[in-house]
Amino acid sequence: MQKVAIIGIGITPFKARYLDKTYFELAYDATKLALEDANKNGADISHKNIQSTVYGIYNELFERQFMPDIFTNSYLGMNNKPGTRIATGGATGGYTVRMAYAEVASGLSDLCLCIGLEKCNDCYDEQTGVTTPEVLNAIAYSADMTYEYPMGMMAASSYVSMVNAHYEEFGNPTEEQMAYVSVKNHGNAMNNPKAQSPMKITVEDVMNSRIICYPFKMLDCCLYSEASAALILASEEKVRELKIEKPVWITGVAAANTDCFIGNREDMGRLYSNIYAAKAAYKMAGLDYNRIKSLIDLAELHDAFSGQEVISYEELGFVPFGEGGSWIEKTFEKSGEGPWIEGELPCCPSGGLIGCGHAVGATGIMSTGEAALQLRGEAGKHQVTIEKGRAISHSIGGPGAAYAAVIVMANEEGLKQT
Amino acid sequence: MSEEFLSHEIRDKIAISYKYTMGGQSKFFIELMNNKKLLGTKCTKCGKIWMPPRINCSDCYTPANWVELKQTGTIEVSTIVWYTTSAFIKAIPYGIGFIKLDGAETALLQGIFSENLVPSKIKKGKKVRAVFNKDRVGKMTDFFFVPEDEYENWISKSEYEGGES
Ligand SMILES: [Zn+2]
Repeated sequence: MQKVAIIGIGITPFKARYLDKTYFELAYDATKLALEDANKNGADISHKNIQSTVYGIYNELFERQFMPDIFTNSYLGMNNKPGTRIATGGATGGYTVRMAYAEVASGLSDLCLCIGLEKCNDCYDEQTGVTTPEVLNAIAYSADMTYEYPMGMMAASSYVSMVNAHYEEFGNPTEEQMAYVSVKNHGNAMNNPKAQSPMKITVEDVMNSRIICYPFKMLDCCLYSEASAALILASEEKVRELKIEKPVWITGVAAANTDCFIGNREDMGRLYSNIYAAKAAYKMAGLDYNRIKSLIDLAELHDAFSGQEVISYEELGFVPFGEGGSWIEKTFEKSGEGPWIEGELPCCPSGGLIGCGHAVGATGIMSTGEAALQLRGEAGKHQVTIEKGRAISHSIGGPGAAYAAVIVMANEEGLKQT
Repeated sequence: MSEEFLSHEIRDKIAISYKYTMGGQSKFFIELMNNKKLLGTKCTKCGKIWMPPRINCSDCYTPANWVELKQTGTIEVSTIVWYTTSAFIKAIPYGIGFIKLDGAETALLQGIFSENLVPSKIKKGKKVRAVFNKDRVGKMTDFFFVPEDEYENWISKSEYEGGES
């Protein structure tokens, strides 16, 4: 297998709605930004140099178009080259990075465009005169259409089932501990100009926000966004040929699908997909699961819901099972006023999904791009201290959050230390 | 070049009609509709009881046989939904949860109805019992669960009835 590096990163702002752009126009913007970034990073390339594309687009109902990838392919000027679409719910972004990695690592492509996009708020609920209930309905079609959808299952009730089961087993995360995540991620987004929901809020604000799905409240939930995010992936040979100044190497990629029926799982309060994906990704990168917290500089996590981030701390190996709640509490006691980009292991310095918004297909690519920018020291006002030269991004999604993907990255320093 | 941008929006709706087969799981829906029975399946090799039913065991790759399950069970996990999709927004608040029927190993997602819908009433460990619509069409919405102590009350309503067992 060839070594693979991220050489260009392009992320559009995450917004509630772009009235001035279609989904493929957003993809064009992200691609152009990624090409410009690669060229700032030493390359001299255009879209004509791209050999293949992997598209991360979650939901046909959002785009109002089946096979939206081929229309994007045309608009991006990628005709007569291979393009493949990945759709794995909220984990679409992470899985797309994994498949784009495979394109390059396998030698099928030396220069691959890895692009995610989503434009959800074209959905519109005529009865309430707003978009959200119809967006949620388009998502709810991802639940089993015979056994689950007719029960009123949706994204929040699916995640809350796991969080409630975890609470029953371990007594956490409490509502306050979940609120800490919301305060942290909304707060971190204040330093990210591309974020949709930057907010300086208090634990009380979260606790007093309207109930969505017991015990999740409005501010525990991410907002759906419209955005596109693109990465340009290159083989080691190409990195040398193009004289890339700051390559960020992808050193581990792994994914796993746990049972999509939550009721079939042995442990409803645990996402085994996270555990399997994390262990495999760390192993590929030569990192110890039990020591991971001390081996990376930051983690961009999939915090679709605050309680899920707390559980992810455990599944991704940062803390033992049952200690996620007390870990966020400790972080909060230390730097309650924020920003939360220092300490043991900064999680979601970008603001995560709660702070940035969730443009499903683009989200995991944005998180990976954000982590890569951090490793280049170019994250801007939310730059964390880079000592180890390694970071991870994390994506989950689908019915019962069955899909999970974990990506491990390293800069040149981080690569030497491994 | 400073022409003001005007966006153009088009109203539209995607609708597809279906008459889909439940294939190997058909018997579950037929027995639910005609006889108010809840059927699971039991693997002929490992003995695992599948609910929702599958006629093949995904662990052993061997056939599974139909078995009738109890209509009582225990809540494994639940929630109350206060904001939801366009299709269900008129139904809020509603309770849903994963219920392990007595004797089954997997838990079934179902609606949990209660005359007093508060988290404590439908929390983990609470005993529930199936209540059926009198007018059944062979869909999952033909039945729901209620707390054991509300059962008699629910089946006394004109639109609902109790199951066999
Ligand atoms: Zn079996």
